[in-house]
Amino acid sequence: MNNVVAKTLIVLQLVFSLCFMCFAGAVYSFQKTWKDKAIASARQVTDLQKNLSDQQLARTDEKTKLEADILAQKNRADLAEGKLSSLATDLSLANTARASAEQERDKHLADLQVAQQEAEARITETNGSRSEIKTLRDQMNDGIAQRRSLEDKLLDQQGRIDEAQQREEQMLKEIGRLRDLCRANRVDPNEPYVGPVPAAIVKVDGVVRQAKKNASRSAELVEISIGSDDQIEKKMKLIVYRGSRFICEIEITDVYPDMSVGRVIEETRNGSIERGDHVTTKL
Amino acid sequence: MSQPNSDPTIYDGLMFVSLGATIVGIVFWILTLNSLGWTGG
Repeated sequence: MNNVVAKTLIVLQLVFSLCFMCFAGAVYSFQKTWKDKAIASARQVTDLQKNLSDQQLARTDEKTKLEADILAQKNRADLAEGKLSSLATDLSLANTARASAEQERDKHLADLQVAQQEAEARITETNGSRSEIKTLRDQMNDGIAQRRSLEDKLLDQQGRIDEAQQREEQMLKEIGRLRDLCRANRVDPNEPYVGPVPAAIVKVDGVVRQAKKNASRSAELVEISIGSDDQIEKKMKLIVYRGSRFICEIEITDVYPDMSVGRVIEETRNGSIERGDHVTTKL
Repeated sequence: MSQPNSDPTIYDGLMFVSLGATIVGIVFWILTLNSLGWTGG
């Protein structure tokens, strides 16, 4: 029995000692690689811890920043909510005002339609009035033209009347003078006259405007400033003089209302005729 | 008085081999600890 135990123990001792030797040899063989791996692992752990601490620090900073942002955004949201509530109130007020304004607008639109209808009626009436005014204006223009024509005629007639009155006064004076002359010569003015009556020559004075020879230079023509209005007639003989000097006689060939043209009677010429010389019907 | 056993058996050889293995293991153990600086890492 003891031998069996001793033998078994010896075998176990052998097995364990071999195992110890093998494990010790294995450890000695691989311990360097394990050490390097451990150092590398430790270094990696250190780096990772450092990175972790950096990341944690950054995360803390980021968290702080985000918290500040969150707080700011929260304040902003609060302000926005306040503004939103204010805007909602304003919107409700504006809606109320808009509703009242729409009612007012509808009322004004109705008034506008009535006013437009009235304006159209006024426009139609105005167009009728304009056409009537145009007709009346045309009639007025015609009346004004007629009135002007009549006024011109009236003025002409009035001038003739004034001229006739002046002639009448002159005639009356002349008749009175002739009556006095007849009375002084003991002639009865009411006695009938027998035979032709020579035309009376009234003294009229004028001036020479210009003197020209005719085309054949055979006669000299004189334009004077008196005409038919001054009782100048064709074939009447007038005297041209300058101061106290007699120049010539002219015979009237053409008569106009305010001027006449005469031909110089060469037999009576006593000098040359110049512009401004005096002319008269009798001295 | 017991008689001395003069003939070594296989078990004596095994014990010798185990002693040698133990010594070699101790040598490896000491070398390992020496390389690790006797601190165990």
